[in-house]
Amino acid sequence: MAAHDTIATTASQPVEPLMSVEDLAVSFDNGSGPRIQAVAGVSMSVYPRQTLAVVGESGCGKSVTAMSSMQLIPRPPGRFDSGRIMFEGRNLLELPEREMLKVRGGKIAMIFQEPMTSLNPVYTIGDQIMEAVLLHQAVSPDEAARIAIKAMADVGIRDPEGRMRAYPHQFSGGMRQRVMIAMALACRPSLLLADEPTTALDVTIQKQILELLRGLQQSTGMGMMLITHNLGVVAENADVVCCMYAGRVVEYAPVTELFDRPLHPYTRGLFRCIPGLSELRNRLVTVEEVVTDPREYQGLRSEAGPVVPWWPFMDQSQRPSLDDPSRPYALVEVSPNRWVGCWRTPEVARHPSRPPRIAPA
Amino acid sequence: MATYLLRRLLLMIPTVLGITLMVFLLVALAPGGIGAGLAVQGGQMSDTSKVAQMQAYLEDRYGLNDNVFVQYARWLGRVSPLKFGTTPLVAPTGDLVREPRDLPEPVMTWAFPAPAAFVVQYTVPSGDALIEDFKRLQREAEGTRRTYVGSVRGMKDALADHVRALGAPWTARLEPKGGADPERFRDLSLDGDAPTLVKLRSAAAAMHASWTEAEASRQRATIAFLARPYPAAGFEIIPNAFSLGAPDFGVAFSRNRPVWDLIATALPVTILINFIAFPIIYLVAVPTGVLASVRRGGAFDVISGLMFLLLYSVPVVLTGVFAIGFLANNQYLGWFPVSGLHDSAAATMTFMPYTDVAGTWHRGWLLDMVWHLALPVLCLVYAGFAVLSKQTRAAMLENFSSDYVRTARAKGVPSRDVIISHVLRNSLLPLITMFVGIFPAMLGGSVVVERIFTIPGMGSLVIEAINLRDRELILANTFMISSVSLLALLLADILYALCDPRVAYD
Amino acid sequence: MRGIGAQEAKGFWADAWDRVRRRPGAMLGMAWIAVMGFFAVFAPLIANAHPIRLERLGAEGQVLSVEWPLLAYLSPTDWLLMIATAFGVPWVFFGAGRLGRSGRIGVLIGLTMQAGATIVLAALLIWAAEGSGIESLERLTRLESGPWPLVLASAIIAAVVAIAVPIAAPLARRIGPILGAAALGFVLSWLAGGQSLVNHEQVILDEAAGKVRATWTLIPWSSQYTRSDMVGIPPGTRVADWEKTASFKGTPFGERRVLLGTDAIGGDVLGQMLWACRLSISIGLVSTGISVVLGVTIGALMGFFGGWVDLLLYRVVEIFMSVPTLFVLIVAAGVLPRNTYVMMAIIGFFSWTGAARFTRAEFLKLRKMDFVQAAQAAGLPVRAVLFRHMLPNGITPVLVDASFAIAAAITIEATLSFLGLGPDGQASWGKLLSSATAATGTFVWWLAVFPGLAIFLSVLSYNMLGEAMRDAIDPKLRKAAH
Repeated sequence: MAAHDTIATTASQPVEPLMSVEDLAVSFDNGSGPRIQAVAGVSMSVYPRQTLAVVGESGCGKSVTAMSSMQLIPRPPGRFDSGRIMFEGRNLLELPEREMLKVRGGKIAMIFQEPMTSLNPVYTIGDQIMEAVLLHQAVSPDEAARIAIKAMADVGIRDPEGRMRAYPHQFSGGMRQRVMIAMALACRPSLLLADEPTTALDVTIQKQILELLRGLQQSTGMGMMLITHNLGVVAENADVVCCMYAGRVVEYAPVTELFDRPLHPYTRGLFRCIPGLSELRNRLVTVEEVVTDPREYQGLRSEAGPVVPWWPFMDQSQRPSLDDPSRPYALVEVSPNRWVGCWRTPEVARHPSRPPRIAPA
Repeated sequence: MATYLLRRLLLMIPTVLGITLMVFLLVALAPGGIGAGLAVQGGQMSDTSKVAQMQAYLEDRYGLNDNVFVQYARWLGRVSPLKFGTTPLVAPTGDLVREPRDLPEPVMTWAFPAPAAFVVQYTVPSGDALIEDFKRLQREAEGTRRTYVGSVRGMKDALADHVRALGAPWTARLEPKGGADPERFRDLSLDGDAPTLVKLRSAAAAMHASWTEAEASRQRATIAFLARPYPAAGFEIIPNAFSLGAPDFGVAFSRNRPVWDLIATALPVTILINFIAFPIIYLVAVPTGVLASVRRGGAFDVISGLMFLLLYSVPVVLTGVFAIGFLANNQYLGWFPVSGLHDSAAATMTFMPYTDVAGTWHRGWLLDMVWHLALPVLCLVYAGFAVLSKQTRAAMLENFSSDYVRTARAKGVPSRDVIISHVLRNSLLPLITMFVGIFPAMLGGSVVVERIFTIPGMGSLVIEAINLRDRELILANTFMISSVSLLALLLADILYALCDPRVAYD
Repeated sequence: MRGIGAQEAKGFWADAWDRVRRRPGAMLGMAWIAVMGFFAVFAPLIANAHPIRLERLGAEGQVLSVEWPLLAYLSPTDWLLMIATAFGVPWVFFGAGRLGRSGRIGVLIGLTMQAGATIVLAALLIWAAEGSGIESLERLTRLESGPWPLVLASAIIAAVVAIAVPIAAPLARRIGPILGAAALGFVLSWLAGGQSLVNHEQVILDEAAGKVRATWTLIPWSSQYTRSDMVGIPPGTRVADWEKTASFKGTPFGERRVLLGTDAIGGDVLGQMLWACRLSISIGLVSTGISVVLGVTIGALMGFFGGWVDLLLYRVVEIFMSVPTLFVLIVAAGVLPRNTYVMMAIIGFFSWTGAARFTRAEFLKLRKMDFVQAAQAAGLPVRAVLFRHMLPNGITPVLVDASFAIAAAITIEATLSFLGLGPDGQASWGKLLSSATAATGTFVWWLAVFPGLAIFLSVLSYNMLGEAMRDAIDPKLRKAAH
């Protein structure tokens, strides 16, 4: 899938994406066995003030994508096979370590799933926030402390001056996640990668943290990539949803459209297993029941003609004939701002789609 | 923190008690007991009666006939700061003095009537002369008492000889070890002039003579002692029951010197060697472990791991013998001194090296000691490398994959800083814990090293004590080594508390 | 019921063994241990001052009589070890049948222990009858034959105990081998001599004079045999080339080479080193066995019961941990009788804390696991829960650590022997090493290099084996190795 073909289209967009992942493929060495392909052909983009939710089950490649954009994938065993991640006109995958250090924490910040263990237990909270500030801003330690205090106040920590000298173990999980956010935002990054920031927290704290993130995003105008497997979180917070499975994007759409009318059988399956409060069901439907039903794959059309959604476990007999068996997958824009991962038939290969880009309205 | 320290210090007491009791039981219950060492010495002593005399004196002095736990309690009463038993008194000279003990009764008084009791008149000098006089009289009383106790023992031996000469059925009444309890032979007729009987009679005469002399000395010493009441050493809580005072480790009979003097010269040497060795171990092992973990699976990791495993498998005695043989012995390289802590001329050396007017270089006291300590320290350190670097590596690897390291990287911290200020800083904690494992082993190892290189430390002292079965010295050695070890572990605990903010000691 | 732990453990161990086998270091280590074991068993046949066959010759060279001094010299334990090794080891490796290899190892060890128990029991009964006490302990290795009723009684007692041991196999299948072991134990302790019938020095003189014809072992010195005229001979020297024994030129004795030299009292170094394999191997195994049994028992009690049992026993563990063990060992070895069994006991007694801590930690974990709680809920007695369900699962780290413990025990034995605190009258590598730097100040390199190498290789072998086992078993380390 050629990114070059689409340059003309992107140029016509009014706003440039903050970061765009294009055709990313990452694999890992597996000792004696064959390499493990963590992600392949993944594309997505984030605009300023936009929240891109990346959803999918564990191990589908959500975190690998985010970690790749920070070059935090350990190499070896990891390897970038192809693709690029463009940020401020530069390919993050090829940035030398020295340049990357300025990006990490400075321009792109990241918060993680485990607030309990993500802070270094032997340093004070203040030290850890100030470390980030001192690394990225040419300020004196006193000035850094002031910035750190303000960052802590911004995320709603009471008595920030006093709490600066506290150690992580003296904080609760929700407070630690606030500290993580304060640390991430202290340097005013333009993009925040939030890797399941609320999974380890209980529901009321989850809500607080997400509201906090949303508020901060409004005030600073940063873009956010929110990695989660919680569809409720997606519905309330995301602007655009990127649904992944087995290292591929299976569906990419604005949040309302996706929730109204999911196109890929896997996405449909995901939504169907959510039990509604008003529904009365004998049993819950599993994703498998939906994705193994051949009828689900019929009737999807695009500019290139009929397309068949991509699914790794589809029977050989039901798969369409491919253009190139070594590249079975393509992300096809089936209707404006609706992308679905499809089998790469010769028609699809002839009509390449533009990469997934949904600018904020 | 203070309460924690106090609790730890209090918990050390049962530990020290446990270990000293264990060693006490070992020494007391071992075949031969204290006397076994004397028998060794006796090989060189021409006069066997002197051995018996010494042995009898020791049995009397240490109360070896008592229950072993009573003996231990007595030892403990002297060593512990909270003393039980009679309060010792202190002379103006600072010596601990006690009232001369009563003499044991003569034996076999039914056959050989004891000499009549008598009262000695003695006028003590006044002033400072009194102290000198008392010390002289006390020495005399000790000496005559010892002779008397020995003669009682000689009497028993003579009786046993006589019984053996008589044969069955009398021999059945002998004790298993061959000694004779006079009380069991009251019905034994002592008439006749068998050679053993003649010896028995002369033994009795000797006993009576030495009793008279010892009793007279004792009375004189008692008069001198009572002439001026000496103040009690330490603080009396309940007079003659409980008091507080400095530990009294007793006198090492093998050298006839206070045990504390011997330890005071030996302990600093052992501590010095260990305190040189420890920084070396950490300075070599920690960077190696860090490098190995950073380049995990690389050549440095594999080679250092293998090399340290090889080193770890070399016993200290082997290195010691090889170092002495090939590096120190003049037959081969002869680069290092074979033994000791200093050159014989060390006392006259200047502290620092210098070159005199003639252009001759003098190494000075400090370099001399470094030169002497090089091989012993070498023997002591290398085994620790493997243990510590392996632990460092494992701790580093564990921390490398931790979440907060990922956070630090995501903040944009350069990888060198990540390794040093995040990974290594957290890996220090298990390294401090490792100290707890290494230090006791090192102290034990230094015993061997000191023995090999004849360094006058605790190791040499304890082996000598063992060979002579000098109980006081063995016990005091064990006590001190255990205490040093425990204090070092406490130090490690405090260090841990300072390094890990999560630890709250309340 | 046994299935839960045992089944899992077996597959687990087979898997671990495959990993260990792939490590060349571990295999080299095992090879060296096997060599040591061979010499430990067959040292009396390889290095012995007693000729195998001795022909007394008349004036014209005719054979007057034939003696077998070596056979008379071998003790019951020598015979037992050699028989068990010579027949048992091939059976373990090449035998077939339902048992499987690990089963055959178990049977071999069990039967050898039963026969050995007969011998030891016979010795104890004979001494009890004689009225000699604990001083005779060292004679266990050099037992004289005794009156047959006592020997028979010991054989019966040992067999009854063997029958009573609670293992799964039915009695009908066990009774044959047990009776066989009893018979072997009986015959050995009744017939085997352990006597020294010849004067070696006289035989050598007679041989030189042509009065006897002797067939010697490979190394005609035993560990105890010394000659004052052969002190400090360098390695590889011919006896006749040594100044003080030049008179033996042309005799069989004079033509022999002293392969690794002699020590400071004229004993053969190689002969002593072979005999010392016995001491090292047995001290390593027995003292570690003692410490493992002691440690696992105490650790299991702590981990299973917790509470004040744990609190109290852990204080004891802490006492042992915080005290310089080697120091206390030196004191203990110094004041107790210089005896192999005493040494095994004290090394075992002072090194159980590691096993206890491992077991405690494992049991604390296991206690909360579902299968243990299920077993308790099913109303199984404490003993069954502890030994059938928890022990097979909790003992893994202890067994891995045992290899290191054996290495440590060998080091301690060498150290104590070096300090002159080793067993009396036993050849030991440490003792040889200590004579390298004699009081005279000269350094005898062959007394340092050869025994030193033997100690080093043995310790290294067990350490490498332990390292390989730890890597194979510890999943955390295995993950880190990737």
